[in-house]
Amino acid sequence: MSDVVELTIPVRSDLLVLARLTAAALASRADFGIEDIEDLRLVVEELCLSVVGNETDGTIHLQYTREDGLITVGCSLSREGGSDGRTDGRADGEANAMSLRIIEALVDEYGENMVADRRQAWIRKRRSKVAS
Amino acid sequence: MSGEAGNPNTSRELWVKFAAARDPSLRDQLVTENLGLARRLAHRFTQRGQPYDDLAQVASIALIKAVDRYDPERNVKFSTFATGTIIGELKRHFRDRGWSVRAPRRIQELYLELGATIESLGHGLGRSPMVSELAKATGASEEEIVEAIEAGQGYRSASLDAPDAAGATLGDSLATEDAAITLVDERSVLEPALASLPARNRVIMRLRFIDGLSQCDIASQVGISQMHVSRLLATSLSQLREAFTADL
Repeated sequence: MSDVVELTIPVRSDLLVLARLTAAALASRADFGIEDIEDLRLVVEELCLSVVGNETDGTIHLQYTREDGLITVGCSLSREGGSDGRTDGRADGEANAMSLRIIEALVDEYGENMVADRRQAWIRKRRSKVAS
Repeated sequence: MSGEAGNPNTSRELWVKFAAARDPSLRDQLVTENLGLARRLAHRFTQRGQPYDDLAQVASIALIKAVDRYDPERNVKFSTFATGTIIGELKRHFRDRGWSVRAPRRIQELYLELGATIESLGHGLGRSPMVSELAKATGASEEEIVEAIEAGQGYRSASLDAPDAAGATLGDSLATEDAAITLVDERSVLEPALASLPARNRVIMRLRFIDGLSQCDIASQVGISQMHVSRLLATSLSQLREAFTADL
């Protein structure tokens, strides 16, 4: 059995708190330890930043799935046609490389797939065994 | 300039050599070659009200710890291993000292209380405590615990803000820093500063930040009181901070 929570927020720094809080609340209810929850919060923000890049308009779509001891977060961006004609988003370059390095260090799995014609970046984090 | 946050030129051969011999000069080389990673991660946390120099110092000490603990035989890149270690230390630093976000007084007090509670519960449980356990220990609700963590550790969301007048975002400014200059700067500052500490202080710094011992454990190992350990750590960190402040 799994719970799915979806959240859409405009690309605004003051609203990223919602993305982090949702992750923390779900992980808390999945009995994650506090260190894992803090890591998940950082990762969700990096995930958003890696998808948004330098875009200042658009909508961030987040999908959180909670299963037994496992949280999956997918993140994608939609916009009304950017300067390069793309309607999805993904950061490129060095800033994104650093985001991916942080994500890689703090989660169990990460990757990309296509969801509703948008490129979605996703992560999976398991509850640490010692906390179970 | 390389876009890599770790140093891609650090060879696996060097890591294997260091793992076998634990040669201090190799250790110094590995630390200095990867200081750029520590510095960039410290930048990641600068939107949270702590001076960059303090964060760079915490990250640099965590890097030393990562170099000492890294096992090249495990199938993990050093940069990945070190990133986790450095972020862990930065999180702890904020838990202990960070406060920059406006929040109701109750939440501020709860956040400050959480640092000590996480530490003590963690020792007793032998693992990271859960939110429900923290709520029970502090008398707060689970929602308040989550809210306090968020309020105290807002991370770097300002980086999503619109570009400045010159059209540059915060991410641009972080990404274009010259890693070579950074490396030379920190090598010239950190090494002499560490070397200038008295031998006992160096040992205590190592036990605390590399071996991860508590002040009490260090006190019994070195044969002095915990208060004395605390004072020596404070003095040593102050000297390192002064070296950074004076030379950076």
